[in-house]
Amino acid sequence: MAQRTIIITGGNGRLGAEMARAFLRRNPEDFVWLTVRERRDHADQVATEFPNRCACITLDVTKPDAWKKAVATIAERSKTIDVLINNAGRHEDSLLATMSQESWSSVIAANLDSVFHGCQAVLPTMIGQRFGRIINIASLSAIVAPAGQTNYAAAKAGVVALTQSLAKEVARIGITVNAVCPGYVETEALNSIDAQELEAIRQRIPMRRLARPEDITGAVLFFASQDASYVTGAVLKIDGGLV
Amino acid sequence: MNEVELREQIKSIMVENLMLKITPAEIGDDQPLFGPGSLGLDSVDALQLVVALDKNFGLKIPDAAKAKETLQNVSSMAKAVLAKQATG
Repeated sequence: MAQRTIIITGGNGRLGAEMARAFLRRNPEDFVWLTVRERRDHADQVATEFPNRCACITLDVTKPDAWKKAVATIAERSKTIDVLINNAGRHEDSLLATMSQESWSSVIAANLDSVFHGCQAVLPTMIGQRFGRIINIASLSAIVAPAGQTNYAAAKAGVVALTQSLAKEVARIGITVNAVCPGYVETEALNSIDAQELEAIRQRIPMRRLARPEDITGAVLFFASQDASYVTGAVLKIDGGLV
Repeated sequence: MNEVELREQIKSIMVENLMLKITPAEIGDDQPLFGPGSLGLDSVDALQLVVALDKNFGLKIPDAAKAKETLQNVSSMAKAVLAKQATG
């Protein structure tokens, strides 16, 4: 397999770090950039495990100028940008009636604006090379929006729509754009849910277990691979049969 | 590179990057790129041209107004590239 440059946002989260490991184990030629913000311990750990094949870069994914700088830094080392995985995101749940404007805007920015800015930052390079794979990590909340997540669900539904629209725009240039919608994944995002509630969730999932990060990385590896060269605009839910 | 050579190079870049089903020689210097009587390009082609002009000649097209002015035909693109080269 040829050398590929892969950017994974949200690189310090468990899912981002596991995706990096999956790429690096699968293809010895891959080079992964993990974007991080204040915390970078998990991302640094991946970089240590794969010396000279993984680097961390500080990036506020909600800021277009920060993206421009990051892409310029990446271009100093990497001739191509082959894969962008828009994985960064966060939720801040509350009922709409009591949701602050700040909570609404910041969650939309973190989950949806970030994808817009990321795609816009890498597209000139991908168009120039006439190849690219963009994989957006949406959420099951985009398909079945739960109460208390109007901001997060709206943002993730926006990511799905962005994916399908952009896929049509760039299909003939050799760029594919796909999304995955994970259900409940064993990551730090579930830390706010207490054990009793988690068990109730587990019982509602036909497979009777939460997703492990590797359940998600398999789909991401597929979308990034040559095997998926004719797949674009796809939205794949990975939820153990929940929906 | 003079303007004639530059126009020929731009036509070759267009055929290659936009995967046009014609030869560079079949593209007129002043033939419109978009609209009636044109080459029949669309907005995705325009996007690719913007990237190709930057990649091949370092010509940055920062906004839609500049794109409309530059991407009229091969001659207008060549003139923009020459103007950029003249100003360094």
